[in-house]
Amino acid sequence: MDSFGKTPGVKPAASSNLYTIILVFSFCIVVATAALVAYKCYSQYDTIFKIW
Amino acid sequence: MSTLTKILIVLLTISSIFLCGIVVTYVANADNYMEKYQNLKSSKDSLSKEVDSLTKQVNEKIAQKRQVEDKLNDKISSLNTEFTAMQTELGNSEREKAELLQKVNNWTSITKDFYQTNDKQGQLLKNTLGELERVRTEQIKQSKELNETTAALVEKMAIIETLQAKTKRLLEEKSELQSRLNQIYQPIGVAAAGTAPVTQQNTKAMPVRPETNKIGLNGLVTAVDIKNSMAGISIGLADGVKEGMKFHVVRDDKFVCDILIIDVDSEQAVGVLDLVQKQPKVGDKVSTNL
Repeated sequence: MDSFGKTPGVKPAASSNLYTIILVFSFCIVVATAALVAYKCYSQYDTIFKIW
Repeated sequence: MSTLTKILIVLLTISSIFLCGIVVTYVANADNYMEKYQNLKSSKDSLSKEVDSLTKQVNEKIAQKRQVEDKLNDKISSLNTEFTAMQTELGNSEREKAELLQKVNNWTSITKDFYQTNDKQGQLLKNTLGELERVRTEQIKQSKELNETTAALVEKMAIIETLQAKTKRLLEEKSELQSRLNQIYQPIGVAAAGTAPVTQQNTKAMPVRPETNKIGLNGLVTAVDIKNSMAGISIGLADGVKEGMKFHVVRDDKFVCDILIIDVDSEQAVGVLDLVQKQPKVGDKVSTNL
């Protein structure tokens, strides 16, 4: 194995879409959470960032 | 894609899910502080208004209380003044009461003394009346004796006057006889002393009575004492009656008798009956002139 973590002699292959989907899923969860928080803030305080 | 990257992706995903779950749970359960704030603010405003109204009410009550307090203070001062005046009046009344009680006591003692004196005076009056009655009785007796003595004296005086007149007449007869004898014996030469009587003989001498015909007194018979031949009349010294006056008693224009006054009082007189034709009665008219 060299300094970049590649095993010499092994052919590089394209990454699996499974992890991409997992990442996208995670991202969607975070975005949804942020949207929920923004919605709650706006609905309760009429603003998203400034409370007062 | 290496294994480590895969592991990191999985961990990242798990942690994202966990953290997002925590955030969602927290946000879902979070309180609405703005609503609470507004509620609290509205309640605070209402409480403030209520406090203001209560403060106004308290101020009004305080003002009313001060007014009532001032009125009560004025009333208390006036009542204190009135109380002081009434205390002064009470003191004066108590002094007057004490003075009046003292006067009552004095008057009571005076009244007791007066009653005692009155009793004594009454007893003394009774004694004096008894004494007066006794003196009157004695006076009547003495009056009777005096009348008898006066009558006897008048009779004696009349006898003396008669005797004197007789003596005088005898002396005059003696002188007359002497003069006659002188006339008889004069031619012979013998003289006889004596003078002729000039006074006529009087059968009965009467005492000199006051002049009554010119007075014209009139009265009534007030008492008659047949036993002693005396009578009382209703006029006395104040009307001009004097001792020795002669009053004629008449009844129905007819002569009854005469009254010779022997004792005169201020308002009445007593006399002896004389020339009795009828028995005099109380109420017969008496007068100095017929």
